[in-house]
This record gives sequence, C-alpha cells and structure tokens, in this order.
Amino acid sequence: MSETVKLVIDGKPCTCEKGDYLLEVAQRNGIRIPRMCYHEGLSGLGACRVCIVEVVEAGRSRVVTSCIYPVLSEIEVFTQNEKIKELRGMVLTLLARLAPNAEGVAKMAAKTGIELPRLAVKEGGDTCILCGRCVSACEALGSGAIAKVNRGVTKEIATPYGEPSSECIGCGSCAFVCPTDSIASERTEESFTIWGREFEMQRCSVCGMPFTTQAAFAFLQAAQAEWEPGAEQQPPLCEECGKKAVARQIANAGKYL
Amino acid sequence: MEERIREIAQRYPAEKRFSLAVLQDVQREFNYIPPEALPLIKEHLGPDVREGQLYALATFYKALSLKPKGKHIIKICDGTACHMQGSTRLITAVQLALGIGPGECTPDGQFSLELVNCVGSCALAPIMIVDETYHSKVTMEGLPAILDTYRPGGERDV
Ligand code: SF4
Ligand code: FES
Repeated sequence: MSETVKLVIDGKPCTCEKGDYLLEVAQRNGIRIPRMCYHEGLSGLGACRVCIVEVVEAGRSRVVTSCIYPVLSEIEVFTQNEKIKELRGMVLTLLARLAPNAEGVAKMAAKTGIELPRLAVKEGGDTCILCGRCVSACEALGSGAIAKVNRGVTKEIATPYGEPSSECIGCGSCAFVCPTDSIASERTEESFTIWGREFEMQRCSVCGMPFTTQAAFAFLQAAQAEWEPGAEQQPPLCEECGKKAVARQIANAGKYL
Repeated sequence: MEERIREIAQRYPAEKRFSLAVLQDVQREFNYIPPEALPLIKEHLGPDVREGQLYALATFYKALSLKPKGKHIIKICDGTACHMQGSTRLITAVQLALGIGPGECTPDGQFSLELVNCVGSCALAPIMIVDETYHSKVTMEGLPAILDTYRPGGERDV
C-alpha cells in the first residue's frame, strides 16, 4: 500500500505518494523547478544540480537535488528563496564556465533571474554541460553508441575510440534531448548523419515522407518482435499516417459493437 | 588475438557486473584494451552490456589503457616526498635516456613511462617501480644501470 505524504512547497500545501521525486511533485502542483539534466522520459541523473531546493524537515534545513530526492516525510520546500537563488547562480556560473557557448545555460540563467558573470565566449567553445541526458536516452532506447568517457577535465561525450559506433542506429534521440544543442547532426531528404555515420532514411509506406532512419526502424521492429513474438510486423508509417491508421482501426472496431 | 579475447571473457559468467574484471584481464594480457576487444566482450557478457559503457569504464580507470603499453612499465612516483627528493629530475633523466615522456611508449615497445601518486614508501624516495620491482633512492648516476637490466637481453628482460 502506498502512503500519502503531506508537504508544503513555496507555501503551497501539497500531497504526494511516499517516494515520489520532489521535482515531479512540485511540477504536478504547478511549481516548475528549474532543471537542465532532468527529462520526463528518463530517470533522474542528478548531474547538473540546477534543480536544487531547500528542504526543511523538523526544523533542520538542507539543500537537496530535487530531481532525485524522494519525498519520504512531511517537509517544507523552498524552490527559490534567496539562499537557493544564490546557490543556483553559482551552479549556473560553473556550468557556464564549463560550456561558455551553451545557450541553454544562458537562457536558464535569464529565466531564473540570475546574472552570469561575463565570460569569455570562445569561438567554437564548448557547449556541452556533461549532463548525460544523451547517454541516458541512448541507453533507454536499448542502444549504447555513446558514453561519458575519460574523467576530470578531459571528460566528454563520445563514441568508443571516437570511431563511428556500430551500435548507433541514427535515431537522433541524443541530439533531441540535449538541453544545449551540442550534438551535431545533419539531415537531408535521403540521409541523416550523426556521430560520424551516415544513415539512409526510411520513408512512410503511405505518404512517402522520410520519418526516421532505416536502421532505427529495423531496430524498433526487432525490439517489437522480442516483446511480442509472432506479432505481425507493422509497415513503416510516419507519425501522421500512424495516427490515421489507429483511428481507422478504432472506427472499424466500433462497427461491430 | 580475437580467440584470446573470447577465452578471457569466457572465464567469467555472462553478467554485466563482470565487465571490469574482463577488461582488467584483457589489459593484463595485451597491456592495453584493443578496439577489437569491446564488441567481443559485449558479445559474451550479454545484451545489457553496451559498448559505450565498456569504453566509459576503459577510459575512467587509470589501470586500463587505450594505447599499447611497453613490455616494461616504468612508474615514477611524483608524490610529495618523491617530488621533494627530485622525482622531476628522475623523470627528465628517463626522458633523456629513453626518449619518451609520461604516458608514452618507446617505438620498439620495450618501455613505457607513467607518473603515479604516492606509493607509500616515502622514506625510500625517490621511487621508481619497473613492472613489479621497486627501485628506491634512485640517483641520476644509478639510473642508466637500472634501465639497462630491462633492455633487450638484460637480466630483468624476461
Ligand atoms: S551532449 Fe548535450 S545531452 Fe549530452 S551531456 Fe552534453 S549537454 Fe548533456
Ligand atoms: S535537473 Fe536535477 S540535477 Fe539536473
């Protein structure tokens, strides 16, 4: 049986189930805690520390990382008091130092009312904040083309040995979830190029629009075959035509009710 | 080489938690992690191991190397005590004698040089470890003779 826990966020009384993550609880209650590495679809990474908040429990105050902080007992939460603003400013400043060209960081600072010190913006300077979202997305999908490699100041996101990865399927998820647009890719009608590999596009079997790469489509089909052995393989459909096909199925099913 | 890598991987059950153990054994065998090794290790350890993860491990631990290392690995301690006792001069002397800097390997594959942090033998500073042998209180004068024993045909070149 799940237990209900009461908490107060920025003065607003809320409830949640024991163990829910604080950032998500706040979000459900209309309070958006600033974040950079957290992504709805992926498990919390706790890497960027932008989501820090102050938690007061039985008179004791602590600063916690809200995206990976499970609410276990009655607490009072402050998501943007002076203390948190100052600390978050520090975190963003460090991220901006790490990646002087990351627009995402500058935007986040602007959004949260934090003034970043003037930084030397280098031509071609770094934009990656090493949050790990891209790696997490790649793994969540069942591939493992990229990883955080090296450590300390030489840490970076890369494919094994910096070579085009055989595990890459060209799905583009890494570039899609990156908060700072750090992953270069190139898309044309026929092909999609990412991490040093060029992939042929898959066209929709109905409207003919290229909607993913052939490798990514084959990967998904293989995954589906694994979940439901013996299930009929679906023809390649773009999002739009896929929706229409489902709608048609529902309409048809309705006929026999 | 591929056969050998497979054999090494098969020493362990096909589980993700043995990734590091396999990588260590590969390192011991070849003195580095050859690029061919990752797909083969993954093939044995099973689908929840990803090449990217193996590469991340290989680049994270200093004990694992992506570049081939020499037959004899010279480690010079550059911890505080050794540093005070002239490890920097020792490093330069090795550089002059063998033509390689820290992290490099001689073209003939005989030696590679690494800097390490305190090895816990500060009273014997400066320390130079070759393979498993500790050479203590190494002097500029004594260095060439020590290195000679590891050169091809030398008494320690086994
Ligand atoms: S490339 Fe983007 S998603 Fe990946 S770690 Fe860097 S900032 Fe995060
Ligand atoms: S969003 Fe919580 S640490 Fe990045």
